[in-house]
Amino acid sequence: MNERPSLSGAAPVSFTLNGIARTVVTAPGERLSEVVRRGLGLTGTKVGCNAGDCGACTVLMDGAQVCACMVAARQAEGRSMVSIEGLAELPLGRALQAAFHRHDAAQCGICTPGMLMAAADVLSRHASPDRQTVMDAMGGVLCRCTGYLKIVDAVLDVAQAGLQTKGSGARPGEAVGQRVLRLDGAPKLTGEALYGDDGAPADALWLKAIRSPHAHARFSLGDLAPFLTRHPGIVRVFTAGDVPGENAFGIYPDLKDQPVFGEGIVRHRGEAVLALAGTRAALEAVQIADLPITWEPLPGLHGVQAALAEGAPAIHAGKPDNVLTRGVVACGQPEAARANAAHIAEGTFETSFVEHAYIEPEAGYARRVGDRMEIHACTQAPMMDRDEVARVLGLAREHVRIVPTACGGGFGGKLDVSLQPMLAVAAWHLDRPVRCVYERIESMASTTKRHPARIRARASCDAAGRLVSYELDGDFNTGAYASWGPTVAGRVPVHAAGPYRVPHVRNRARAVYTNDTPAGAFRGFGVPQAAIAHEALLDDLAEQAGIDRLELRHRNALRAGDTTPTGQVLGASAGLVACLDALRPRWQALLSDAAAFNAWSHALRRGLGIGCMWYGIGNTGLSNPSTMRLTLARDGTLTFWNGAVDIGQGSTTVLTQIAADALGLPVSAFRLVVGDTDVTFDAGKTSASRQTFVSGKAAQLAGEALRTRILRLTNAGPGARLDLDGARLIVADGGEQTVVDLAQLPAAGDGIVLEGVGTFDPPTTPLDAKGQGIPYATYGFAAQIASVDVDLGLGTVKVRRIVAAHDVGRAINPALVEGQIHGGIAQGLGLALMEEFIPGRTENLHDYLIPTFGDMPEIEVHLIEDREPLGPYGAKGIGEPALIPTAPAILGAIRHATGVTIRKVPALPHRVHAALAAAGKAVEF
Amino acid sequence: MKARAFEYVRASSLQDAFEAFARVSGDCCYLAGGQSLVPSLSLRLQAPAMLIDISRIDELRGITLADDMLRIGALTRHAEMLTSPEIARHAPLLQLAAPHVAHPAIRNRGTIGGAIALADPAAEFPAVTLALDAEFEIAGPEGLRRVRAEGFFKGLYETALEPGEILTAIRIPPFRAGDRAVFDELARRRGDYAIVGAGIQGRVAGDRIESLRIAFLSVGPAPIRARHAEAAVAGHALSPAVIAGAQAALERDLDPAEDPQTSPAMRLHLARVLLGRLLGRLGEHPACKGAHA
Repeated sequence: MNERPSLSGAAPVSFTLNGIARTVVTAPGERLSEVVRRGLGLTGTKVGCNAGDCGACTVLMDGAQVCACMVAARQAEGRSMVSIEGLAELPLGRALQAAFHRHDAAQCGICTPGMLMAAADVLSRHASPDRQTVMDAMGGVLCRCTGYLKIVDAVLDVAQAGLQTKGSGARPGEAVGQRVLRLDGAPKLTGEALYGDDGAPADALWLKAIRSPHAHARFSLGDLAPFLTRHPGIVRVFTAGDVPGENAFGIYPDLKDQPVFGEGIVRHRGEAVLALAGTRAALEAVQIADLPITWEPLPGLHGVQAALAEGAPAIHAGKPDNVLTRGVVACGQPEAARANAAHIAEGTFETSFVEHAYIEPEAGYARRVGDRMEIHACTQAPMMDRDEVARVLGLAREHVRIVPTACGGGFGGKLDVSLQPMLAVAAWHLDRPVRCVYERIESMASTTKRHPARIRARASCDAAGRLVSYELDGDFNTGAYASWGPTVAGRVPVHAAGPYRVPHVRNRARAVYTNDTPAGAFRGFGVPQAAIAHEALLDDLAEQAGIDRLELRHRNALRAGDTTPTGQVLGASAGLVACLDALRPRWQALLSDAAAFNAWSHALRRGLGIGCMWYGIGNTGLSNPSTMRLTLARDGTLTFWNGAVDIGQGSTTVLTQIAADALGLPVSAFRLVVGDTDVTFDAGKTSASRQTFVSGKAAQLAGEALRTRILRLTNAGPGARLDLDGARLIVADGGEQTVVDLAQLPAAGDGIVLEGVGTFDPPTTPLDAKGQGIPYATYGFAAQIASVDVDLGLGTVKVRRIVAAHDVGRAINPALVEGQIHGGIAQGLGLALMEEFIPGRTENLHDYLIPTFGDMPEIEVHLIEDREPLGPYGAKGIGEPALIPTAPAILGAIRHATGVTIRKVPALPHRVHAALAAAGKAVEF
Repeated sequence: MKARAFEYVRASSLQDAFEAFARVSGDCCYLAGGQSLVPSLSLRLQAPAMLIDISRIDELRGITLADDMLRIGALTRHAEMLTSPEIARHAPLLQLAAPHVAHPAIRNRGTIGGAIALADPAAEFPAVTLALDAEFEIAGPEGLRRVRAEGFFKGLYETALEPGEILTAIRIPPFRAGDRAVFDELARRRGDYAIVGAGIQGRVAGDRIESLRIAFLSVGPAPIRARHAEAAVAGHALSPAVIAGAQAALERDLDPAEDPQTSPAMRLHLARVLLGRLLGRLGEHPACKGAHA
């Protein structure tokens, strides 16, 4: 492609933004979003897709919502615009922000500016819109966290001024269990929260990776000098040879199989082979064909069947059969037991690649500080990032600092490093800050996915419906590199028989290398896939045994005192029975509703399904400690040093609530320092639903430790009341009151006078060769029911309603727990009905569809609080449990509606129609 | 990636635009709402030397009724299809289709002229203009001409527009007493590309459908009229047998191509179901009540 100087045609454009007249010089091709963010430095307007698909960049132009990424900046000439930074000046602007805060309508916050602008648009047109009007008007803005319902509630709250509002500031010692407003919520509502692409040193260069268009190929690089001469804005090209340390990363210590830059071979489409550093304009002008890369495409192994086939070539040396790892759990004698069972059900199930589709693409910057490296980027796992970057640079880990930015969604996809190693290599050599933001297509093509699964499973029960055996063989497509494949292969066999008493079990899972996109961590680590199988088989058994589907599950539910297939005795907090009891009245009512509906409806059939799950909190049979620290400084500053990254799920708020009650001071007294590896202890990664349970317990211990020090200092009893008034710490015990002048206490160099540190590592044991042991200290339990309408003519499925019951041990913050459940249900619905990532084909947000407003059902949440004695104030986790039961419940409902079992998800209309047609159930009207 | 550097010209009249076009010998694109063009430029699917912004040409605006034709200026935004009383009264089929076009932020920028000139086979408005028997006003350096929607859509993104020409307005015979309009589509998600969609405008006389035009989108490279299906209905009361006949006739009207998720047979089936339901709704009007008796 012939290139012209990038500034040719640059000219000023003048407009009014947030009431201020602006004139900016723009290149002809520039989008309004770029002018606002980079030209004017107003980074509250977010960019999620650059294609009009996500709506994160929504602004008002002459009072109407538009996608700023879809407007040529020159067309803004003379227009009047409002961005999130000006929202507060609009009528109802502040009211909208406050309502979003009260309703917890912003989780990660990356979609929030766009949501608020779309909300301002709808309220300017409709004085009292109904629910549908709000949903239609905001339907172009995607959210991956909230499940949308709380957003609609917030907008209607403003419109109706009187709708139920929630949220409270808690008094000392009473924060746990309260709907404390998100402590990091306010900056997300004003556009002030800084995400990965929202800031970098002014002299930062830009980095762009060049990626393989082939799934499997050898390549060689020619002379790069002529390329650099032709592109004067490009400072340097980085290849494998430029990596100072190991050109490898990966989650497991013995599986660092993923190169920063390919070395002569690429194993999946989207793999980076080199990176360019230079000016933004110069990088944007580069096409892959401009580079002297010679590709020699090789046949690729796509899908586990190809990779496991006889004679398939090995993708990695040392794994001749392409099997990365195997996991197993075996107990009893399933084959013998099955032979005597009254009923047997079996089936084969398939799931697809699923994309995390966080609205914030990977972004950040690196800078070298002397002989140290500093990375500011969005992440779920700062300490792991630190270790990976240190290895790549050949530095001691203490020489790397990770400062997490606000994280615009993760869901497991930001547990692996992405751009961090490349940025570090470039910044190290250039000794100059280097920044990068992935394009949406690049993010989708190159980062990890949910493992596609092929599962064969068999379950049996006795005449009374009591489960006898469960056997599963699951192959999980881990793609070209290991990532979290071993975690999936290890976690699935433990959970695959479902949350039930099953005496005879043999579950085997394999993670298999292919030439597909690497699959890694995604909310549930393989358990959502396995749950689709066990719940379908339970429905089969219920039908064969003539027992109601809910009652069959109730009969088999794990209870405290039961032994799991790994030989673990559940000591306490196994609340599935309570979940099912909570759902039973709704189940009966919705069954009647479906029968009544179907009595007159023909093309549309209504069905009801139920899904149950259990989920081990934390790592599988591995140590996963967290350490939290609280300090009081001589000036009275109470600081919570919290290494747990809040990716929108709310750990910052939840952990502070816990620490506050343990210490005995109000949440408002805390200064928060979150996730900087130089100043916080290792809290472990934000994954495996572990932060509330593990870091929460550490926060409780830290709070108690600091409280104990204070009480000792003042000789006060355990029931003493604390107050902090500037540097005066007041301890009231019965009638006695002691005032501690913190300024008078001996201080460490940093002014800290009192400290409390807490560490918690959940008690587990490694699994033995038969998968026996104590893999998790505690488990979450849940059941959901789904009511759906299936269109027998078109093959479409509409989820009408989900009723969800979740045993969370204790809801530290019920509003945030509900938010997790709503968001999990949205992702579970996507898994069941909509989402299928196909490398090279659905690498954007209009070919890869995630649920939006109109796809959401009504949701009713029942929180079951069967206290976990090990957990902080009885709490367990909710992040992943929220998603797991949804797809099984929806698929069960399709079957109930139509008599057809869908064995491959997503249940897209063509698959549903094909299944209906094969069963003679499809209609022509 | 980003758009190739180009020149930008804001035309204030059609004459302006044509002169700019001539100056770069046609190596240019006309920019109206930009909702397809801006991302396409950024992905370098198009890389013109010049962008000619026609979005401020007054001659391309306005909705008027004159000479018994509704004239909709090419720059009329999709959002106006939902709010304009003239559209609601004289071309309700456009109003029915508009909620299916993308989402509000896109509808606030995108223009009907742009949608028709682009002729995306999955777009709603091109098919609707076929059902409405619309004609297009086209301006070029040589003057104005009119082309019926019927002959306008030639193939995949191919239209009767000659290089340099600008579609200036859509002219539609206004809706009259006895006319009925229905529209629906099957999309995986509201606002996304339809797997199949159709619009019908018919005239009812007594309990019969006197005449009708059925147009499909997303079943081929261009929007298409279902003439055999029309013939199966025209002149009849809408009985189940007539509807079934129209559904059966579709096989002769449509020849959908294979795509990874939807086989031709599946798409044809979906088109039949959609047509059956749309005709049912057409017949739900009081004037057709007899058909269901």
